[in-house]
Amino acid sequence: MQVDDVNWSIINGSFCAYKVMTKKRRLCTNEYNLTGICNRKSCPLANSNYATVREENGVCYLYIKTIERAAFPAKLWEKIKLSQNYEKALEQISNELIYWPSYYIHKCKQRLTVMTQILIRTRRLRLKRQKKLVSTKRKVDRREARREAKALVAARLDVAIENELLERLKQGVYGEIYNFPQHVFNKAAEELEVSDNSDAEIDEEEEDESGKQSERQFIEDFEESDEDDIEELQRPIEEAENEMEDSEEEEKEKTKARRHHVSVEYEEDDLIPCKKKSLIKLF
Amino acid sequence: MACRPLVSVYSEKGEATGTSVKMPAVFQAPIRPDIVGSVHMDMMKNGRQPYAVSAKAGHQTSAESWGTGRAVARIPRVSGGGTNRSGQGAFGNMCRHGRMFAPTKTWRRWHRRINVNQRRYAICSAIAATGIPALVMAKGHCIEEVPEIPLVLTDKVQTLTKTKEAVGVLRKLKLWREIEKVKSTRRFRAGKGKMRNRRRIQRRGPVVIYNQDNGICRAFRNIPGVTLINVDRLNLLKIAPGGHVGRLCIWTESAFKKLDSIYGTWKKASEQKTDYNLPMPKMTNCDLSRLLRSDEIQKALRPPKKQVTRRVLKRNPLKNLSVLAKLNPYAVVEKKLAKLVEKQQKKKRQELQDAKRGIKYGFKHGYYQLVGVEDVGLATVDAAASGGKSRPRKPVTKAPPAKEKKEKKEKKEKK
Repeated sequence: MQVDDVNWSIINGSFCAYKVMTKKRRLCTNEYNLTGICNRKSCPLANSNYATVREENGVCYLYIKTIERAAFPAKLWEKIKLSQNYEKALEQISNELIYWPSYYIHKCKQRLTVMTQILIRTRRLRLKRQKKLVSTKRKVDRREARREAKALVAARLDVAIENELLERLKQGVYGEIYNFPQHVFNKAAEELEVSDNSDAEIDEEEEDESGKQSERQFIEDFEESDEDDIEELQRPIEEAENEMEDSEEEEKEKTKARRHHVSVEYEEDDLIPCKKKSLIKLF
Repeated sequence: MACRPLVSVYSEKGEATGTSVKMPAVFQAPIRPDIVGSVHMDMMKNGRQPYAVSAKAGHQTSAESWGTGRAVARIPRVSGGGTNRSGQGAFGNMCRHGRMFAPTKTWRRWHRRINVNQRRYAICSAIAATGIPALVMAKGHCIEEVPEIPLVLTDKVQTLTKTKEAVGVLRKLKLWREIEKVKSTRRFRAGKGKMRNRRRIQRRGPVVIYNQDNGICRAFRNIPGVTLINVDRLNLLKIAPGGHVGRLCIWTESAFKKLDSIYGTWKKASEQKTDYNLPMPKMTNCDLSRLLRSDEIQKALRPPKKQVTRRVLKRNPLKNLSVLAKLNPYAVVEKKLAKLVEKQQKKKRQELQDAKRGIKYGFKHGYYQLVGVEDVGLATVDAAASGGKSRPRKPVTKAPPAKEKKEKKEKKEKK
């Protein structure tokens, strides 16, 4: 036997699955609740005669429950479709809930008003483009970031790049590239510049550069060179060999002479810039 | 008590068979959540196993206090030497490796005895609550599409053997959503229970109450959330889990019919329990709002007082004439009289004085004025006659000196 007051005292006092406590007030998550507040008057469970307005696919329905059907939950709610016309819908509510306490009539109408406003707004929004908010999951994000970092480390990109570059070098993608030590390269480049300049300055330069040159001895290393350049290199090879044979005393003069003797050939089709070419001859 | 007389019986396909069963009187028992709660709590205590700390814990040392005079605290210290332990504090709850405060004992009162009548009251309340859809929903069961509450099934359900068939029954009765809810709440217990063989927890689903187990137990027991009980052995811990009333109950027809004989109706005592009948409610009609609106009560009431009497500020009658007049209407008359008397007496006094001073007044032009004086409304005061003290009552203009002399002469003549 169902008595509303008894039910309310149990629901309110003991436990209700739909009750949500916030700091300021108690809310009811029951979908049939008229106001959304946990209240003696608003509780759909504690009132045998109850009415709500709910919206489904853009259409508002009036739901009524009476105590006669209380024992049959499947048939509990009488669902009345409300007119799409707002005024007519209000009239409908008044007619269906005639003789009901004014609380229900009033609240149903209020709820209908709010729902129609919401529906209008949603319809308007649908016509515009809407941003879809996708939630990020913190745990997932963190996990994926960590895995990314690990994958990066595991890939060992620098090693792979190195190997790839060496492969390409071996295959000859880069044409002629020689691995000279940087300081040697610079020195040689400087010397080349000097030789290309006017002869008048040679004496001075010779004095300057002879010192440098005497410190160094250039050894032939033609393992990495291409076959195309072997002919060009033959002369410098001979000259280099001559250099080695000569005594140190004659180095200065001979180097100067050699510089003069060396003929600089410029080829147009080369990938390598001119200076490098002449450098090759030096070595 | 007005109540539905009959409950329809449903087949295992979810359709209403033509038959209906009389509603047992238990469902009209008073619902007392307080009794259910306290009895439930006591019943839960009865299943406990004792726990205690070892009796010797903390005392397995021959520690003695060093007493005073050694510049150390006086707690007992471990005797002996040659180890770190020597000289350390022992025995106290504040000491490391000491005994705890109030060591737990096995002879703690673990179990509670509950009065038989209270136990039965609780169970009757709990069963009654399962018959109210509002309370079942408030507990959290998904019964929106269930055909009827209380839900009674034919006895054929008792002969089901396959879980698949049992699942089919629940689906037809629209109870599968309830089972799915149970499945979705499967989680690990929070706390140490995890490592104490209580690892997983889930919601409670429906209770299936049968009369005879012809396979129904085996069919339903593996479905998550479902509990099975025999009518003869109804358990409060299963009907009102957590101490809250309103668990979803599925009855078989014979079980439902048996309830009357187990708990009795008010008209007839229980057959299975000796000397027991259903608890009497404190109120036959609990609908308080309805009662208050009824004619019998409304007739006996006096009409409501709509007039609001507010606190009136007390004003002092001795200072406030209108308040005094309210209390003593004659006071107004008295006061007026007094004023009049005062006026008359004043006038007399003044006349006497004037006579002494030699000022005469005659009533002319509606007011008293000096006789013989041509100026209107002015009194001349003989400064000399009054001895230098003048009492001007109205704006004074000086009389011509000739008249003063005349008066002087007159006075001299008189004398």
